[in-house]
Formats: sequence, C-alpha cells, structure tokens
Amino acid sequence: MCLGIPGRIVEISNEGRFPMGVVDFGGVQRDVCLAFVGDDVGVGHYVIVHVGFAISVVDEQEANRTRELLTELVRPGVVGSAAEPGINRLARKPGLL
Amino acid sequence: MKYLSEYRDGDIARGLVQTIRSVTTRCWVLMEVCGGQTHTIVRYGIDELLVDSVELIHGPGCPVCVTPLAQIDRALALASRRNVIFTSFGDMLRVPGSKSDLQQVRAGGGDVRVVYSPLDALEIARSNPAREVVFFAVGFETTAPANAMAVWRAKELDVRNFSVLASHVTVLPAMAAIVESPQNRVQAFLAAGHVCTVMGWTEYEPLAEKYRVPIIVTGFEPVDLLEGILLAVRQLESGRHQVENQYRRSVKREGNLAAREMVSTVFKPVDRSWRGMGPIPASGLALREEFVAFDAELKFELQNIAVAESDRCRAGDVLRGHLKPFECPAFAGECTPESPLGAPMVSSEGACAAFYNYRRHRTADGLKR
Repeated sequence: MCLGIPGRIVEISNEGRFPMGVVDFGGVQRDVCLAFVGDDVGVGHYVIVHVGFAISVVDEQEANRTRELLTELVRPGVVGSAAEPGINRLARKPGLL
Repeated sequence: MKYLSEYRDGDIARGLVQTIRSVTTRCWVLMEVCGGQTHTIVRYGIDELLVDSVELIHGPGCPVCVTPLAQIDRALALASRRNVIFTSFGDMLRVPGSKSDLQQVRAGGGDVRVVYSPLDALEIARSNPAREVVFFAVGFETTAPANAMAVWRAKELDVRNFSVLASHVTVLPAMAAIVESPQNRVQAFLAAGHVCTVMGWTEYEPLAEKYRVPIIVTGFEPVDLLEGILLAVRQLESGRHQVENQYRRSVKREGNLAAREMVSTVFKPVDRSWRGMGPIPASGLALREEFVAFDAELKFELQNIAVAESDRCRAGDVLRGHLKPFECPAFAGECTPESPLGAPMVSSEGACAAFYNYRRHRTADGLKR
C-alpha cells in the first residue's frame, strides 16, 4: 500500500485553488494531486506518486550522486566479477511492481 | 523507466552484494519494516544472496495485514447496506473477515468499488448524492495525507454523503514495540522510505539512541535495499547506532511539511489495536472533532463489534518477525492466496503472499523453489 512510483509531470492545472496535474509513468498517464508538493514543481519534474498524490519531488542531484557512487563501487578492479547465479534475476526489468 | 530501472541494475547489485559480504564478520539480524520492501527482497532473492551475512526479518509494515478483524467486519456490514457505495483500495477486497470478504459481499449484490485514490471516492460521492459513499481509509503515514485530504476536501465542498471508515496506523510505535519485546532479535531497522518521505526521520532519532539500534531510511528497489543493508551492516560492524538516509532522492530530514500539516489538521493520535500484534499505545490516527461528521463508525453506529481471530492463522507471529511464513503449519496448504486464513496471504505487501507468489511453496520434502 505504501507503493510510490516515480513519474514525470506533463501538465499542471488548478481547479480553484486545488493543484492537480497529469503525470506520465513510462507512457501511462494519470491525474495526480499536487497539493503536497505545491510550488516546488513544474512540468518536466519527476515526482513520487502514491494513491494519486505526489508525496515528493525526486531530487535529481541526489539521484545522480547516488548513481555515481554506486557505479564507482562496481568499477572493474573495485570488486571481483564472480558469477552470482541468483543476482541475474536483478537484470530483468519487471516494469511497475 | 527513469528512477526505477537504474535501481534494478544487476551489476550495481552484484557489487553491493560483494561489498556487504566483504565487510561482514558475523550474521546480523535486520528487519525491513515495510511489506513493499519484503516483496522486493523475496522477489529478487536478496535474502538468499546474503544468507551468511544478514538474516532479514520481515516487519509489520502491511496496513492491510494489521487492520483489525473487527474493522474488516465493520467494512463488510457497511458494504452490505443497500444505500451504501463502499469504496476501497483493491488490496482490501480479499482480506478475510470473520465470515466473508468484500469480494463476496460484492458478488452477493453489495456495491463495492475499487478506487485508485481517495479523491476518486469523493468524486463518486459527488456524482451519487442520493447514496452514502464510504471510503475504507487504511494505511500508514504514507497514505494518511491523501486520506486526510479527501476528508478535508469533503468538508470544504460540503459533501455530506461521504464518510470514511478510518483504520490508520503509524509505524514508529510498532517499531518501538518490536525492540522492546523480550523476544526481540532485531539489531537494525530498514525503515520504510515512503513513510519517511512524508514524516522525515527526526522521530526515529530518540528510538535509535534509546535502543542503540541503527535505523536506515531505505527505498524499495533492489539496489536501494542492498545499499540500505550495507549502511546498516557498516554501522553494526563499527558499533554505531544512528539514523541514516539511503533513500536520499525522495526523503528529506523534515519530511513533507505540507503533507504532515494536512494529517495533523484532520487526524489525531489514538491507541490502536493491530491485527496480530494487539493494542499499541498512540499507534493509530482517528478523525479530529471538527471532522467527526465524516466518521463512518459514528454515522452508521458501528462501534460495537467484537470478534475472535482464527486460531489456525499465525499471522501475528509472522508480523512480529517470530515466524517465517513457510514455518506456519497452514502455509500453502490450508492457507493460500485463493483461500486465505489471514491478511498477509492476500495483501500485495503481506509476507506470506510474497513467499507464496515468488518461490517458496512448502512440500512434503521441504521447500521447493
């Protein structure tokens, strides 16, 4: 139930003073309430969406920094390359959970 | 998809697994709090990959699983009423009450509708002014802002045929109850990343200090969980017990202030009984006085329902981390997703469903993959 999916804002509208938007999740688009991310967002931003509400704006700088750190971790020479039969399951892309 | 697929990268995961193994001098016991995390762990076999480094105990973070039986029975009673449209997240439909479930009530003619968002339930109420629309407001802190917003909006728009059957729970008191238990084996927590997206992590700091337990705010993809495990193991190996944030792309220290404010405007903390865990002080949320007109329990006078749990379901032991799902005598025999004895077998966050669906059916000769 605490599932949150990242998606890209493609449209913002204000019904009265109630901020709504359309968020694209890899081709699937849904109406999303933006009341909790308020003034922080614009079209093109990524948000984490839970039960039709954006609960955070994805921090791109942090995401990039994490990715660089983790990529560094698996650079050849940093760790061995022993086969891990179980981990191969991680390579598949199951899509939305 | 951006911000999803890179956190399922096999090379990065492989590197993390090797790093965790290389820094671990003994097997540590970790609890992932959220059932969504449990599903990732079991689905990708993370527990099996790290079998000598960490034991992962699956936590109580499945709101569907901990919703008390009496509350399910109240939902069934409401959904059976002729003038009621009962709306719910899809997860709740097959959760067994003492005699039936919402799906059976629907098959018998009850108007039960699955909604994606609580705002959809409110729209159903606005489109059906002659009928009573009840929304089953379950969930942890992640869901509380959305459900609070639906109630707040109903009041603002004066939608009088809308009400909620509230069964909200909060995760911190449950984590405290787990570490306080004399049987506790948990040495570090992987805290629920989306709960913390809303609440931040300052409220975890006293818990980490008091019980000397590392708490890592952790995301939901396999790479997130592996990094969370690595951070926990590093703390344990060096004797530290701090709150650390692995899920930095979504979680800020103070959480989401607008969402927190909405929750505290509409809800107040109350004692709540958790299915399988019993009563936990100040672990639930109920509507504040200004919003009681939207409380389905009062509106439909449903307060007095007392029911007994089945003694064949060991869900309580599973939720407290004392029993692995496949150790339950009923697992995959008497209890299956098609014919569940308890909620953890049907919820998308239930530990029993994770083990049943992804690999581990028990057979006469043990576990079969």
